[in-house]
Amino acid sequence: MYPTEVEVLRDLAGQLESMLEGGVPERGGDPTRDRLFPRAYLDPTEDAAETEWQGAVHEDLVRQKSAAVGALVDSLDTGTAKRKETLEIRLAPAAVEQWVSALNDVRLALGVVLEVTEDEIRVAPDDPRAAGLELYGWLTWLQGSLIEALLADMEAPAEEET
Amino acid sequence: MPETIEAPVEVDEPDIEELVGTDRPWLVIVWNDPVNLMTYVVFVFQKLFGYSLEKATKLMLEVHHDGKSVVAHGNREKAEMDVARLHAHGLWATMERDRA
Repeated sequence: MYPTEVEVLRDLAGQLESMLEGGVPERGGDPTRDRLFPRAYLDPTEDAAETEWQGAVHEDLVRQKSAAVGALVDSLDTGTAKRKETLEIRLAPAAVEQWVSALNDVRLALGVVLEVTEDEIRVAPDDPRAAGLELYGWLTWLQGSLIEALLADMEAPAEEET
Repeated sequence: MPETIEAPVEVDEPDIEELVGTDRPWLVIVWNDPVNLMTYVVFVFQKLFGYSLEKATKLMLEVHHDGKSVVAHGNREKAEMDVARLHAHGLWATMERDRA
Protein backbone atom coordinates (compact mmCIF):
# COMPACT_ATOMS: atom_id res chain seq x y z
CA MET A 1 0.00 0.00 0.00
CA TYR A 2 1.33 3.45 -0.83
CA PRO A 3 1.74 6.01 1.97
CA THR A 4 -0.81 8.23 0.21
CA GLU A 5 -3.34 5.38 0.31
CA VAL A 6 -2.71 4.91 4.02
CA GLU A 7 -3.39 8.61 4.56
CA VAL A 8 -6.59 8.42 2.48
CA LEU A 9 -7.83 5.54 4.64
CA ARG A 10 -6.92 7.42 7.81
CA ASP A 11 -8.85 10.45 6.62
CA LEU A 12 -11.91 8.39 5.63
CA ALA A 13 -11.81 6.58 8.98
CA GLY A 14 -11.87 9.91 10.79
CA GLN A 15 -14.85 11.04 8.75
CA LEU A 16 -16.68 7.81 9.51
CA GLU A 17 -15.95 8.17 13.24
CA SER A 18 -17.57 11.60 13.29
CA MET A 19 -20.62 10.24 11.43
CA LEU A 20 -21.07 7.61 14.15
CA GLU A 21 -21.53 10.33 16.77
CA GLY A 22 -24.80 12.09 17.45
CA GLY A 23 -27.08 9.38 18.80
CA VAL A 24 -30.07 7.86 17.03
CA PRO A 25 -30.49 9.78 13.75
CA GLU A 26 -33.55 11.94 13.26
CA ARG A 27 -35.13 10.39 10.19
CA GLY A 28 -34.77 12.40 7.02
CA GLY A 29 -32.08 14.60 8.57
CA ASP A 30 -28.87 13.11 7.23
CA PRO A 31 -29.25 10.38 4.59
CA THR A 32 -25.78 9.05 5.35
CA ARG A 33 -26.53 8.50 9.04
CA ASP A 34 -29.95 7.09 8.09
CA ARG A 35 -28.12 4.48 6.02
CA LEU A 36 -25.55 3.67 8.70
CA PHE A 37 -28.36 3.26 11.25
CA PRO A 38 -31.48 2.12 9.39
CA ARG A 39 -34.91 1.50 10.88
CA ALA A 40 -35.81 -2.01 12.00
CA TYR A 41 -39.58 -1.55 11.60
CA LEU A 42 -41.00 -0.04 8.41
CA ASP A 43 -44.59 -0.38 9.65
CA PRO A 44 -45.59 3.01 11.10
CA THR A 45 -47.88 1.29 13.63
CA GLU A 46 -44.71 -0.13 15.16
CA ASP A 47 -43.14 3.30 15.76
CA ALA A 48 -43.13 2.79 19.53
CA ALA A 49 -41.31 -0.53 19.11
CA GLU A 50 -38.92 1.15 16.67
CA THR A 51 -38.05 3.90 19.15
CA GLU A 52 -37.59 1.39 21.94
CA TRP A 53 -35.42 -0.83 19.74
CA GLN A 54 -33.22 2.06 18.58
CA GLY A 55 -32.78 3.11 22.20
CA ALA A 56 -31.76 -0.40 23.16
CA VAL A 57 -29.30 -1.15 20.35
CA HIS A 58 -27.92 2.16 19.09
CA GLU A 59 -25.08 2.47 21.56
CA ASP A 60 -23.97 -1.08 20.90
CA LEU A 61 -24.07 -0.55 17.12
CA VAL A 62 -21.91 2.56 17.51
CA ARG A 63 -19.52 0.65 19.75
CA GLN A 64 -19.11 -2.18 17.21
CA LYS A 65 -18.66 0.17 14.27
CA SER A 66 -16.20 2.33 16.22
CA ALA A 67 -14.21 -0.75 17.23
CA ALA A 68 -13.94 -1.81 13.58
CA VAL A 69 -12.81 1.59 12.34
CA GLY A 70 -10.47 1.91 15.34
CA ALA A 71 -8.85 -1.42 14.48
CA LEU A 72 -8.37 -0.22 10.91
CA VAL A 73 -6.68 2.98 12.07
CA ASP A 74 -4.48 1.04 14.50
CA SER A 75 -3.19 -1.25 11.79
CA LEU A 76 -2.48 1.70 9.49
CA ASP A 77 0.26 2.63 11.96
CA THR A 78 1.92 -0.79 11.72
CA GLY A 79 3.06 -0.52 8.11
CA THR A 80 6.68 -1.43 7.43
CA ALA A 81 8.59 0.03 4.50
CA LYS A 82 8.91 -2.19 1.45
CA ARG A 83 10.51 -1.68 -1.91
CA LYS A 84 9.14 0.90 -4.34
CA GLU A 85 8.13 3.13 -1.46
CA THR A 86 5.21 0.95 -0.45
CA LEU A 87 4.19 -0.04 3.06
CA GLU A 88 3.38 -3.57 4.08
CA ILE A 89 0.54 -3.95 6.57
CA ARG A 90 0.03 -7.46 7.93
CA LEU A 91 -3.41 -8.24 9.31
CA ALA A 92 -4.46 -11.01 11.70
CA PRO A 93 -7.72 -12.74 10.66
CA ALA A 94 -9.73 -10.79 13.26
CA ALA A 95 -8.31 -7.53 11.92
CA VAL A 96 -9.28 -8.51 8.37
CA GLU A 97 -12.89 -8.75 9.54
CA GLN A 98 -12.65 -5.36 11.23
CA TRP A 99 -11.22 -3.84 8.05
CA VAL A 100 -14.01 -5.37 5.97
CA SER A 101 -16.66 -3.96 8.35
CA ALA A 102 -15.11 -0.51 8.50
CA LEU A 103 -14.54 -0.36 4.74
CA ASN A 104 -18.16 -1.39 4.27
CA ASP A 105 -19.40 1.50 6.41
CA VAL A 106 -17.11 3.93 4.58
CA ARG A 107 -18.45 2.65 1.25
CA LEU A 108 -22.06 2.88 2.49
CA ALA A 109 -21.54 6.51 3.46
CA LEU A 110 -19.69 7.34 0.24
CA GLY A 111 -22.34 5.46 -1.76
CA VAL A 112 -25.05 7.72 -0.35
CA VAL A 113 -23.07 10.88 -1.10
CA LEU A 114 -22.20 9.75 -4.64
CA GLU A 115 -25.66 8.26 -5.24
CA VAL A 116 -24.11 4.98 -6.32
CA THR A 117 -26.35 2.56 -8.20
CA GLU A 118 -25.91 -1.10 -9.12
CA ASP A 119 -24.88 -0.14 -12.62
CA GLU A 120 -21.38 1.07 -13.16
CA ILE A 121 -21.41 4.86 -13.31
CA ARG A 122 -19.27 6.38 -16.02
CA VAL A 123 -18.61 10.08 -15.71
CA ALA A 124 -16.34 12.50 -17.55
CA PRO A 125 -12.98 13.17 -15.88
CA ASP A 126 -14.04 16.74 -15.11
CA ASP A 127 -17.30 15.63 -13.48
CA PRO A 128 -17.47 16.69 -9.83
CA ARG A 129 -18.15 13.07 -8.86
CA ALA A 130 -15.17 11.65 -10.78
CA ALA A 131 -12.64 11.72 -7.93
CA GLY A 132 -15.15 10.32 -5.44
CA LEU A 133 -16.13 7.49 -7.77
CA GLU A 134 -12.52 6.59 -8.37
CA LEU A 135 -11.96 6.45 -4.61
CA TYR A 136 -15.13 4.40 -4.20
CA GLY A 137 -13.90 1.97 -6.86
CA TRP A 138 -10.59 1.54 -5.10
CA LEU A 139 -12.30 0.91 -1.74
CA THR A 140 -14.54 -1.66 -3.42
CA TRP A 141 -11.49 -3.44 -4.82
CA LEU A 142 -9.72 -3.34 -1.44
CA GLN A 143 -12.73 -4.61 0.49
CA GLY A 144 -13.43 -7.24 -2.17
CA SER A 145 -9.95 -8.73 -1.91
CA LEU A 146 -10.17 -8.91 1.89
CA ILE A 147 -13.57 -10.63 1.66
CA GLU A 148 -12.10 -13.23 -0.72
CA ALA A 149 -9.55 -14.01 1.99
CA LEU A 150 -12.29 -14.35 4.64
CA LEU A 151 -14.40 -16.63 2.47
CA ALA A 152 -11.40 -18.80 1.62
CA ASP A 153 -10.67 -19.09 5.35
CA MET A 154 -14.27 -20.05 6.04
CA GLU A 155 -14.23 -22.83 3.46
CA ALA A 156 -11.08 -24.45 4.74
CA PRO A 157 -11.10 -24.15 8.54
CA ALA A 158 -10.27 -27.85 9.01
CA GLU A 159 -7.11 -27.60 6.97
CA GLU A 160 -5.83 -24.80 9.14
CA GLU A 161 -6.15 -26.90 12.26
CA THR A 162 -3.83 -29.63 11.06
CA MET B 1 -54.89 -7.23 13.59
CA PRO B 2 -58.18 -6.63 15.46
CA GLU B 3 -59.64 -3.14 15.10
CA THR B 4 -59.00 -0.96 18.10
CA ILE B 5 -61.10 1.82 19.56
CA GLU B 6 -59.96 4.89 21.42
CA ALA B 7 -60.28 4.34 25.14
CA PRO B 8 -62.05 7.29 26.77
CA VAL B 9 -60.42 6.65 30.12
CA GLU B 10 -57.00 5.47 31.06
CA VAL B 11 -56.91 1.72 31.38
CA ASP B 12 -54.16 -0.82 31.44
CA GLU B 13 -53.82 -1.66 27.79
CA PRO B 14 -53.54 -5.38 27.27
CA ASP B 15 -50.46 -6.53 25.43
CA ILE B 16 -51.33 -6.74 21.74
CA GLU B 17 -48.90 -9.59 21.39
CA GLU B 18 -50.96 -11.62 23.86
CA LEU B 19 -54.22 -10.82 22.08
CA VAL B 20 -53.19 -11.85 18.60
CA GLY B 21 -51.03 -14.68 19.82
CA THR B 22 -47.44 -15.31 18.91
CA ASP B 23 -48.06 -18.01 16.35
CA ARG B 24 -47.27 -15.69 13.47
CA PRO B 25 -43.50 -15.30 13.52
CA TRP B 26 -41.55 -12.19 12.72
CA LEU B 27 -39.65 -12.21 9.46
CA VAL B 28 -36.18 -10.73 9.15
CA ILE B 29 -35.84 -9.22 5.69
CA VAL B 30 -32.67 -8.11 3.94
CA TRP B 31 -33.14 -5.58 1.14
CA ASN B 32 -31.08 -5.12 -1.98
CA ASP B 33 -28.50 -2.42 -1.74
CA PRO B 34 -26.19 -1.03 -4.46
CA VAL B 35 -23.15 -0.88 -2.17
CA ASN B 36 -22.90 -4.20 -0.34
CA LEU B 37 -20.83 -6.67 -2.36
CA MET B 38 -22.37 -10.04 -3.17
CA THR B 39 -19.41 -11.83 -1.60
CA TYR B 40 -19.77 -9.71 1.53
CA VAL B 41 -23.46 -10.54 1.90
CA VAL B 42 -22.66 -14.26 1.57
CA PHE B 43 -19.96 -13.91 4.21
CA VAL B 44 -22.29 -12.12 6.64
CA PHE B 45 -25.10 -14.69 6.23
CA GLN B 46 -22.66 -17.51 6.92
CA LYS B 47 -21.10 -15.77 9.88
CA LEU B 48 -24.27 -14.55 11.61
CA PHE B 49 -26.61 -17.47 10.93
CA GLY B 50 -24.20 -20.33 10.44
CA TYR B 51 -25.66 -21.02 7.00
CA SER B 52 -23.79 -23.17 4.51
CA LEU B 53 -22.14 -21.47 1.56
CA GLU B 54 -24.94 -22.84 -0.65
CA LYS B 55 -27.76 -21.50 1.51
CA ALA B 56 -26.04 -18.15 2.05
CA THR B 57 -25.47 -17.81 -1.70
CA LYS B 58 -29.10 -18.71 -2.49
CA LEU B 59 -30.39 -16.05 -0.08
CA MET B 60 -27.94 -13.46 -1.42
CA LEU B 61 -29.14 -14.13 -4.97
CA GLU B 62 -32.76 -13.72 -3.85
CA VAL B 63 -31.87 -10.34 -2.37
CA HIS B 64 -30.04 -9.42 -5.57
CA HIS B 65 -32.69 -10.54 -8.04
CA ASP B 66 -35.95 -10.08 -6.10
CA GLY B 67 -34.93 -6.97 -4.18
CA LYS B 68 -35.29 -8.68 -0.81
CA SER B 69 -35.23 -12.01 0.97
CA VAL B 70 -36.40 -13.44 4.27
CA VAL B 71 -33.17 -14.56 5.89
CA ALA B 72 -34.42 -15.55 9.33
CA HIS B 73 -37.56 -15.69 11.44
CA GLY B 74 -38.62 -16.11 15.02
CA ASN B 75 -40.28 -14.27 17.86
CA ARG B 76 -40.03 -10.48 18.15
CA GLU B 77 -37.00 -10.55 20.45
CA LYS B 78 -35.02 -12.86 18.20
CA ALA B 79 -35.92 -10.86 15.08
CA GLU B 80 -34.91 -7.60 16.79
CA MET B 81 -31.57 -9.14 17.70
CA ASP B 82 -31.00 -10.47 14.17
CA VAL B 83 -31.80 -7.06 12.65
CA ALA B 84 -29.32 -5.39 15.01
CA ARG B 85 -26.61 -7.90 14.09
CA LEU B 86 -27.27 -7.31 10.39
CA HIS B 87 -27.16 -3.52 10.88
CA ALA B 88 -23.87 -3.89 12.75
CA HIS B 89 -22.54 -5.43 9.53
CA GLY B 90 -24.02 -2.71 7.34
CA LEU B 91 -26.75 -4.77 5.73
CA TRP B 92 -30.10 -3.10 5.17
CA ALA B 93 -32.45 -5.26 7.24
CA THR B 94 -35.97 -4.75 8.56
CA MET B 95 -38.55 -6.93 10.33
CA GLU B 96 -42.25 -7.48 9.89
CA ARG B 97 -44.84 -9.95 11.10
CA ASP B 98 -45.51 -12.88 8.81
CA ARG B 99 -48.81 -12.23 7.00
CA ALA B 100 -49.56 -15.93 6.54
